Amino acid sequence: MEAELKWLDDPTVFRVNQIPAHSDHQAFASEAEAAGAVSSLVQSLDGKWQFIFAATPNERPANFWAPAFEGPFDEITVPSEIELSDYAQIHYINTWYPWEGQIYRRPAGTGDNPQALDDFSTAADNSVGIYRRTFDLAAGLQGKEVRIRFEGAERALYVWLNGHFVGYAEDSFTPSEFDLTPYLQSTSNVLVVEVFKHSSASWLEDQDMFRFSGLFRSVSLLAQPAIHVEDLHILPTVNDDFTSGQLALKLKLTAKEAGYLTVDVQDASQTSLLHQRLTSAATVELAPVTFEQVHLWDTDDPYLYHLVIKVYSAAGALLEVVPYDFGFRRIEINADHVIMLNNHRLIINGVNRHEWNAKTGRTITLADMHQDIATFKENNINAVRTCHYPDRLEWYQLCDQNGIYMMAENNLETHGTWQKSGTVEPSYNVPGSVDLWLPAVLDRARTNFETFKNHPAILFWSLGNESYAGEDIAAMDQYYHDHDSSRLTHYEGVIRNPAYRDRISDVESWMYLPPAGVEEYLQTADKPFLECEYMHSMGNSVGGMGSYIRLMQKYPQYAGGFIWDFIDQALLVTDPVTGQEVMRYGGDFDDRHADYEFSGDGIMFADRTPKPAMQEVKYYYGLPK
Amino acid sequence: MDYQNKLHVIYGDGTLGLQGSDFAYLFSCERGGLESLKIKGKEWLYREPKPTFWRATTDNDRGNGFNVKAAQWLAADYALPCQAISLKVDERKFKQVPVAPATNEFTNHEEAEKVKITFTYQTLTVPATTVKVIYKVKADGTLKVTAKYHGQAGLPELPVFGMRLIMPTMAAGYEYEGLSGETYPDRMAGGRPGTYEIQGLPVTKYLVPQENGMHMATKWVKITRQTTLNNADHDDQPFSLTFKAANGDFAFSALPYTSEELENATHQEELPPARRTVLVIAGAVRGVGGIDSWGADVEPAYHIDGTVDHKVSFVIDPGLQGNVQTH
Repeated sequence: MEAELKWLDDPTVFRVNQIPAHSDHQAFASEAEAAGAVSSLVQSLDGKWQFIFAATPNERPANFWAPAFEGPFDEITVPSEIELSDYAQIHYINTWYPWEGQIYRRPAGTGDNPQALDDFSTAADNSVGIYRRTFDLAAGLQGKEVRIRFEGAERALYVWLNGHFVGYAEDSFTPSEFDLTPYLQSTSNVLVVEVFKHSSASWLEDQDMFRFSGLFRSVSLLAQPAIHVEDLHILPTVNDDFTSGQLALKLKLTAKEAGYLTVDVQDASQTSLLHQRLTSAATVELAPVTFEQVHLWDTDDPYLYHLVIKVYSAAGALLEVVPYDFGFRRIEINADHVIMLNNHRLIINGVNRHEWNAKTGRTITLADMHQDIATFKENNINAVRTCHYPDRLEWYQLCDQNGIYMMAENNLETHGTWQKSGTVEPSYNVPGSVDLWLPAVLDRARTNFETFKNHPAILFWSLGNESYAGEDIAAMDQYYHDHDSSRLTHYEGVIRNPAYRDRISDVESWMYLPPAGVEEYLQTADKPFLECEYMHSMGNSVGGMGSYIRLMQKYPQYAGGFIWDFIDQALLVTDPVTGQEVMRYGGDFDDRHADYEFSGDGIMFADRTPKPAMQEVKYYYGLPK
Repeated sequence: MDYQNKLHVIYGDGTLGLQGSDFAYLFSCERGGLESLKIKGKEWLYREPKPTFWRATTDNDRGNGFNVKAAQWLAADYALPCQAISLKVDERKFKQVPVAPATNEFTNHEEAEKVKITFTYQTLTVPATTVKVIYKVKADGTLKVTAKYHGQAGLPELPVFGMRLIMPTMAAGYEYEGLSGETYPDRMAGGRPGTYEIQGLPVTKYLVPQENGMHMATKWVKITRQTTLNNADHDDQPFSLTFKAANGDFAFSALPYTSEELENATHQEELPPARRTVLVIAGAVRGVGGIDSWGADVEPAYHIDGTVDHKVSFVIDPGLQGNVQTH
């Protein structure tokens, strides 16, 4: 198969040869590796890559994917944002699309544009990063099937190995995996990745943030032993007595030979609770096993059980070890429209969190994540909305371990297609009820679910942000209900099109609704209420928080909310005038149209020091429940 | 002569001087305010203290248009003509502070138990209103400052009302009894009562410089400096001055900048080099809001009504050393 540039224009093409999304479990070659959390089945490709920047698709060099192509190349670090290496202009814009006033565009399937338009593939604003590196296979990967995983790439990527086209992917914030095995050599492999800043997916990714591009998250090679756990679905349930529970498992294996596997469950004190041997097959199920006493997971006591799956060949050789920490908890809505977690009223003392680092943009470090968790714990923040896209894989595990309730949001925001200067004007809204866009948004819902389904921290699947409402988002809601009874769905944008109110979102969600409006809803609430965004922390703000908290104390249907937002999006640069390291925001890079300082709305400054308002947040979020 | 139990009153040609053993105050008719506040040989004023009405526009103010609605107060803050200065020395009242040649009747040996001097300012607003600043000085040098804003129908809500004192050099730090952190009327529940010591004059590094550093519900604040502009002052020991709430408490901010300097900068690095101390002692502070940043108003309880009176009052006691005991 050959790569086709026109995929960039077609909303129905968003994954070519991409491996279906699966659980985010890690695979190790031995128990010792699992204990040390370093897998010989994984080879990192992070680091220095060769790089060519092209301002437009037409300016790309010919045959750049060929192993014989000799450049010339620059060098870039993976992961990083292309704009922060000064190849492309840094640009911050909120609701409008980044081409506002520069290119006239309409999404395919709207107005007089029934079909995909020849647009992004030739566009003047579609810059391209061509990444190239060679690699030899590490010992642990030799002789095995090997795939490549891109954890995040804005906004569309093509992959070649040794001159062969491997695959194409969109959806910038979820892992993209491709099988490299057919073209793999043990040494001197030439890997070429082409990342376009825009594709039709740009219509779906109009988040309020700096608009970056490139391989901004890690890239790695993953080896599959002869029998491999491809997907793991852990199904812990809590019985009506809230004392006992059941555990079931559904596994998908890729197997080139016969074998068996063992399933072990230990509690936190390493007492064995379950040991079973199962025969390897394409799908393997562990029938529900009753646990008479389950230690429930919640924010105050994030108790995790330790599951280990070991995969053996028929001859008894250990091929793969898959550990996964899971929890028992139960979320539901009671007859009084109150969200109940483990039979107690759920209180969300939350924040919205963009992934941000003042020096590296949305390329963040593990240390950043650990620091954010520590800040949460220190300030009584118990919940996070992954606005407005899935986060780095490690973040979900940290939330499990630290008892941070998650609203796991899909990578979807089409703000500019329906809201124009504050007014609702959905004449070219996507996804809306447009068939052409349904597969892409459903794929985003599916990928979010399949990747993160085993995390007890996730209490809500959020369908996206500020995308209006129509049949397509209703289908996303239906997807989650069809596949997951252990969580609630959330979507705020349906308030803009109440015709879909019964089909979209288990909860009534608003943003920035003033206290009077909140109380008005609560007096006749027919769904639990929350504010997915409130207390806009721009500059010197967060006044009047008490009015919300008092309402929460008065009405059990009010589950709480997520402050907008956790950390300022500002960039630390050297000021040419003073030589100081200074913070810069939208418009500071001659970028127009910009939304200027609106990029900075955190309760933390961009350097991860708290704003003065944090003590107010800590106080109200620390009040007795 | 020893004036330890009396104020020495000096009727100058254009100023009124009040002196004691370790203080010297100079009220200027020309400049329309307290020109000099010298205590134990150290000058505490750079320019005359004036009532202040403006706070540097916050992001929320901009979003809800408060900076536009209240814009008159920026002009009032920037320039505030003095209309009248009255004086009372013990029981003797002067409709105007006497200046040359009326002062020919006095000597260099005038003394008093107490002196009250009142400056009346007129605001550059439409309609205009008046603000009186009353200085009451006792024989021991105790200086009580009261600023009274006269409410006037038709005036917009105020961003802030208080007194602004600009000191000649940047403070080494300050200590206060009040609430932890930066607080505003609608954001002070999390402030923990206590006595706090702050190094330097920190400016909260909001992306766009704006109103910051307010401390609500303060009993007293002590400013400590180590430097002066006096070329003959070779002493580098820290020295302090305490401002104590006259009744109840006040709000204050101690920053190196005026609200106009903050207003002018779009980034922190555009602020001028920090070289002075700007102490605002406020009797009324508008809330910061936070419902959203593009229109939502501050909750009504935290507005400052321009049509009603407002007041702030505090005491400077030159004899006070160290921490202040409050009751």
